Amino acid sequence: MAKKKTETEQIVTPEEQVVLPQDSEELAVESPAVVAEEQAPVVENSGSVQFEQAPTEFDVERQLKKQKTQRIVKDVFVYIFLTFCALLAFLPFYWMVMSSVKTEPEFREAVPTFFPKTFQWGNYSLVLHQTSSGNNGGSFGQILINTIVVGLLSTTLGVILTILTAYALARMEFKGKNILFAVMLATMMIPGEMYTLSNYIVVAKLGWTDSYTVLILPFLVSVYYIYLLRNNFMQIPNSLYQAAKVDGLSDLGYLIKVMVPLTAPTLISITLLKFIGTWNSYIWPRLVNTENWQMITNWVTGGFVDRVQADGSTMYDGLYGQSESLNTLKMAAVCMVSAPLFVLFLTCRKYIMRGVSKSGTKG
Amino acid sequence: MAEFKNQTPKDVQADLVIADGPTLTKGEKARRALRSQSGWLFMIPALALMAVFTFYPIIAAFINSFKVNYSAMTGSFDKWGFENFIRVLKGDTGTGGASFVQCLVNTLVFTFVSVPLSTLLALLISVALNSIKAVQKAYQTILFLPYLTNALAMGAVFATFFSVIGTKTQLETGADGSTWGLVNLILGTKIDWTGITSPHWEIGEALSIPWAKYIVVIVYEVWSGLPFKILILFSALQSINKQYYDAAKVDGASRSTVLWKITAPMISPQISYLLVTGIMGGMKQYSAIVGIFGVEMGMDYDMGTMVGYLYRYIELGQTGYAFAGSLMLFIIIMFITWINNMVTKKRTTYK
Repeated sequence: MAKKKTETEQIVTPEEQVVLPQDSEELAVESPAVVAEEQAPVVENSGSVQFEQAPTEFDVERQLKKQKTQRIVKDVFVYIFLTFCALLAFLPFYWMVMSSVKTEPEFREAVPTFFPKTFQWGNYSLVLHQTSSGNNGGSFGQILINTIVVGLLSTTLGVILTILTAYALARMEFKGKNILFAVMLATMMIPGEMYTLSNYIVVAKLGWTDSYTVLILPFLVSVYYIYLLRNNFMQIPNSLYQAAKVDGLSDLGYLIKVMVPLTAPTLISITLLKFIGTWNSYIWPRLVNTENWQMITNWVTGGFVDRVQADGSTMYDGLYGQSESLNTLKMAAVCMVSAPLFVLFLTCRKYIMRGVSKSGTKG
Repeated sequence: MAEFKNQTPKDVQADLVIADGPTLTKGEKARRALRSQSGWLFMIPALALMAVFTFYPIIAAFINSFKVNYSAMTGSFDKWGFENFIRVLKGDTGTGGASFVQCLVNTLVFTFVSVPLSTLLALLISVALNSIKAVQKAYQTILFLPYLTNALAMGAVFATFFSVIGTKTQLETGADGSTWGLVNLILGTKIDWTGITSPHWEIGEALSIPWAKYIVVIVYEVWSGLPFKILILFSALQSINKQYYDAAKVDGASRSTVLWKITAPMISPQISYLLVTGIMGGMKQYSAIVGIFGVEMGMDYDMGTMVGYLYRYIELGQTGYAFAGSLMLFIIIMFITWINNMVTKKRTTYK
């Protein structure tokens, strides 16, 4: 069966012959026997009249044809299935972008349109001036600055901290290292929410709320990234370390000049994931900070309404009230938050996947 | 964890042997002692932060959950006891809060329906993806698109798929500006999926049915869980030795036999890994539900999750209940981990 099948495949897709030359050689020798063997049960089943008949050339041809059709049918089925899944995977993005440029009445048509009749780019400029809660919250600009400042600071500091800790755990000898590492790993089992509660109380008591510090400090140490980088450091042969020592490099010098460049791919993954984590953080900023100090994801939860603009007009002439959240505006906001992630994913897919495929978490 | 064990660093062990050796000179010893200090020096920043933001909070969570009527800001409480746990389980926590049992049931339903469903679907897609040659890369890219998304933002997009807009009368007469939404149009149904859709609806007018809301969440969870699972399973499939398949073909095994008797067992470590991480992640879900149903998580937290429950009680200032809830979440996760370990030990064929 196997050889037969491969032979058929080769008829269908001749490029396989290039990929698997040894297979085709085997085939040349074995295939007649296999074909004959295969033919036997079919003949048996097809009735007593043909029982004694040896397989004719015609039968083989027919069999080949049958398998070829089977394969084509299977392929068609597989492609239809995959296309369907791919469409479903893509649909939310398409719907999000298309909805964000529709007018609200068009969005609310009984039969939703799949392509906007009129493009209303004004949705974007309107949401730019809206905040997560009414009038006194932080503007989009403020919230974007918060996110970028916090993202850059916490990523930079976090990566430096991760490098130092992972290096100590991987390369340095000190008493209690193994116990310490085991304890750190054990904390990964504990749901983060358990310490979020106490952390909230701690920062509230310290009076740190409404600051960047409170958004940065609690998340600087990530045991998972330390673990990932430590394993990576471990893979670097120790002979390099001894060579560096002979050359008079200090531990820190060795770390910066040898270890860091060698583990650059992992470090890029960690940097990206840390920044994405900050971009997507929602619960903590909402808990500890008021609107002006919150992050971009908090902004998206707002109800985006047809606000009175600077010149006193509204987009829909008061058709929708000040309390009614408009879907098109919301989708514009969602697009603005998703676009950077999308671009990052397309440009740095390799690094992001490398980091995430081991952790099972997103950022 | 297994990976970590396998990578026992031989070179470091060698280092240890040298360090313990008896032939060290005095200067050598002093240098080693200094190195041992500098090891701690490298660790200090991380340890200090962990002490404040990880170790202390865990201990505090354990202690505080037994303080009855605990006020976080003043630190005052009435007495020690199990009252917090009892009240949380009974739902006897005062007004405005979510129901713990409801949140637990929601979380379990979301997790134990969507995780196996998306894993199975991911397996089928990966097998299909593995069997094609032309445009494989293109399909791969599109299927991985939902991989890196903002849960809250995409939840909001799914909410608009299912959204029903307009008053009951408007919808019945098909008036302008009222719509049953995309999903209802495709399915030919008239269901208020999310139940939060229109501010025009009077109380009692909502046509929402409880299971419809669950479906919205599960559809989202499956969609968002697929890319990661496909990534893992697809790369696992590609690393299976082709000889197994050749042998099966020689034996005349059918396509489904090959799938369930060869492919599935060969990638069972990855499947069990996906189930474990999926369930762990599922138990902690929060943002997506907020994206779909808003910050109130449906009507009065009827779509609340465990994590949503905790945050609700922090917001209400009833931290004792939040701590008790977090401890129970911890116990539940530990319990699931334990069961997982039992099952995986029996079922998985590790190479």
